[in-house]
Amino acid sequence: MRKTLDFLYDSAAALAALFMIGLLAMVLLSIVGRQIHLNVPGIDAYAGYLMAGCGFLALAHTLKRAEHIRVTLVMQSLGPAARRWLERWAVSVAALLALLFAYYSVRLVMQSIEYNDISTGNDATPLWIPQLGMAIGAVIFAIAAIDEAVIEWKGRPLRTNLEAMRHE
Amino acid sequence: QTKWDLPTAYPASNYHTENITQFASDVEKASAGKLKITVHANAALFKAPEIKRAVQGGQAQLGEILLVNYQNEWQMFGADGIPFLADSYDAAWKLYQAQKPALEKKLAEQGLALLYTVPWPPQGIYAKKPISSAADLKGVKWRAYSPATARVAELVGAQPVTVQQTELSQAMATGVIESYMSSGSTGYDTKTYEYIKNFYDTQAWLPKNAVLMNKKAFDALDKPTQDAVLKAAAEAEKRGWELSKKKTLEYIELLKKNGMAIHVPSDQLKADMKKVGDTMLKEWLEKSGSEGQAVVDAYKKM
Amino acid sequence: MNDVAMAALLIATLFLILGSGVWIGLTLSGVAWIGMQLFSSRPAGDAMAVTIWGSASGWTLTALPLFLWMGEILFRTRLSQDMFKGLAPWMQSLPGRLLHTNVVGCAVFAAVSGSSAATCATIGKMSLPELKRRGYPDNMVIGTLAGAGTLGLLIPPSIIMIVYGVSADVSISKLFIAGVVPGLLLGLLFSGYIMFWALRHPDQVPPADLRMSFGAKLRASLSLIPVALLILAVLGSIYTGFATATEAAAVGVVGALIISAAQGSLSWTNFREALLGATRLYCMMALILAGAAFLTLSMGYIGLPRHLAEWIASLGLSQFQLVVMLAAFFIVLGCFLDGISVVVLTMGVVMPTVIAAGIDPLWFGIFVVLVVEMAQITPPVGFNLFVLQSMTGRDLLYIARVTLPMFFLMVAAVLIIYFVPQLVTWLPRQMAP
Ligand code: NA
Ligand code: NA
Repeated sequence: MRKTLDFLYDSAAALAALFMIGLLAMVLLSIVGRQIHLNVPGIDAYAGYLMAGCGFLALAHTLKRAEHIRVTLVMQSLGPAARRWLERWAVSVAALLALLFAYYSVRLVMQSIEYNDISTGNDATPLWIPQLGMAIGAVIFAIAAIDEAVIEWKGRPLRTNLEAMRHE
Repeated sequence: QTKWDLPTAYPASNYHTENITQFASDVEKASAGKLKITVHANAALFKAPEIKRAVQGGQAQLGEILLVNYQNEWQMFGADGIPFLADSYDAAWKLYQAQKPALEKKLAEQGLALLYTVPWPPQGIYAKKPISSAADLKGVKWRAYSPATARVAELVGAQPVTVQQTELSQAMATGVIESYMSSGSTGYDTKTYEYIKNFYDTQAWLPKNAVLMNKKAFDALDKPTQDAVLKAAAEAEKRGWELSKKKTLEYIELLKKNGMAIHVPSDQLKADMKKVGDTMLKEWLEKSGSEGQAVVDAYKKM
Repeated sequence: MNDVAMAALLIATLFLILGSGVWIGLTLSGVAWIGMQLFSSRPAGDAMAVTIWGSASGWTLTALPLFLWMGEILFRTRLSQDMFKGLAPWMQSLPGRLLHTNVVGCAVFAAVSGSSAATCATIGKMSLPELKRRGYPDNMVIGTLAGAGTLGLLIPPSIIMIVYGVSADVSISKLFIAGVVPGLLLGLLFSGYIMFWALRHPDQVPPADLRMSFGAKLRASLSLIPVALLILAVLGSIYTGFATATEAAAVGVVGALIISAAQGSLSWTNFREALLGATRLYCMMALILAGAAFLTLSMGYIGLPRHLAEWIASLGLSQFQLVVMLAAFFIVLGCFLDGISVVVLTMGVVMPTVIAAGIDPLWFGIFVVLVVEMAQITPPVGFNLFVLQSMTGRDLLYIARVTLPMFFLMVAAVLIIYFVPQLVTWLPRQMAP
């Protein structure tokens, strides 16, 4: 189970990294295209879609690596027991919000199909396709957030320094 | 008291927005305060591409869209973006009447209702170098910001370039774009005159902004309030068309004052652009099928 | 419920959730959600998804991840050591020594990038480890970096100026030019503060390296060539029309890769690490940007900023009172919303009042940019603070505290341009109309 989940987070992040490369390629293509008189219609829109996919697909991986930022001042000033309970509260709230985000991101895709929502730009992409990146990313993020909450409720070995583990 | 939201993408000082603000206050007065419409200008609530679906989904009860923007979704939305099909206010009004039944039917299927439309001033060509025929546009870097303007570029042999609205002035200053097609008002709003000095008043087409309404939200109103909305909308339409006509001349004057040379297109340019229009009409009719043909036939009969 | 109670309740909720350690982006979404459910009759969920998608997929944002990537690549080259080697001999004699590299670096990079977060992240990637290694105190290193990073907005190109120009109907190119002098002024203020601090705390400034002859200094400066070439390439691509300001970020990534290859540090591991590092850093910011976009939408529905702006407009203030009042208003809003949202949400209401008071909209634009710069460094929602929290691992409030002097310097800058408006208007007037 652990292995499967970690594999899921990391492969989504790998896909996100590929999207970052794709974003660079799109912008370069648009620069070079102007020089050699080649216009790829809607290239700016594709760049935007790839950027969105990049940001959302990496959410879970970034969460697991503790690189999403939070305010830990209160937490650090508490004793071990109080800190554990505050941590449990925080991850539970986060998991709930991540679930909401995932639910409505999936709904966004379904409504885009229902409304036949097509990009108004020169790319004319049916929007549910790029929005799929956001929905999948949000769902995996919700899984990761619940995963974190479960670990916390089961009793994670207490982190001695919340900050130290984040940076080299 | 019922509260409605009306998102629009244009700044508060734009005449479309001013007209909408007037409409909102008319509704509030006529409904004796029972319906209050908050206008969110400047894309403060939703950005232009999101507004239609926001109204469809009930996140906003009203919203203003540029109809041709939605041509990708349904060809008929682009009827007023075909060059030289309707090239004056009278013609544009007739085209609107011909287009209206189909438009209303389609929007009703989507849970929407068309409240009213207001046109933009007629579209002309902004060009860095003087042009006397379409041949002069060959290889010129042309901002293609919509499917229609991209197609015009291809047909005249200009080089279509993708540049976002936010980068327009920088792109003009550095020569990333040398030409584009739009209305006198857009040229003034974007301060095109700082970089490009020629405007060819081709009067190619008059695209319309439409104010859409969520049908369910409308049905939930009582009859007098519904009537108040419809009456104010009819007035806003009348006022908006007049305003647009008046603004056309004003904007041309403003452009002139700021150093833009306003040209009447040469006969050759006119003929060349007419050819472009014919091709695009033909292509549009192929894509839009019998629906499109019916609209064009009805329009030509008027 | 009246506006004051509503605002108090939302702010209390924000502090409660944020303080309990929920991730910042999620906190913003949570507050936005609660606000919409309680104070507007609109369903929150679908609107949230639509608006987050719109803001996350917009073209103008594409420069941000690319600049972050560029920073991650450069971080893994010798470029930062080289840069310091080249700059150190010249800055040794200034009080504060190498701390000035933060200001100079940000001011130069600001001419390349339109965003404050990208400026802060890129320069920070290079200067943070280097200054730390040399023993400069954390509070000054972080504080000056957070402050100087905001120069990305004032020195053209600038995203916020474009947003303001469109909503207030002011020429964007004039705004760009108007930002140059105030940008340099602010940079001088930051540098002046560093000198002032250094003279008061000589014990905290690491000792100077060996004294060098002028010739040796020049020779050491040769190591600045790669960085100069990179900046020249990015700037040049913008001003020759090779690339637009947004696209220039891609030129930066390619340039960074070339430098990396030339220095022999472009291994597969380095490339992969830089790419993943940039992806995570961008993802961290994307989550916050998503939350901020939803909070902006929620505020748009509830109408709090609009009501406040309307209230200010109704007071009938004198010009100076109005400027002070608006500064206070934007600073308070800027604590909770990002700068662009503040401008978009309020300009429609504020501009007519400003014009009626006889304030030059061009001058007001620079004023707005300065105040929005402050929003980047005021807690709880300040993007430069977030960037630095992520890069240093220090707590948000610590970073906000050490950045506070920069905030006051920006207030000083606002006062200076109020009393000497020519600092803003002189340069653009020299342009042809
Ligand atoms: Na800048
Ligand atoms: Na802030």
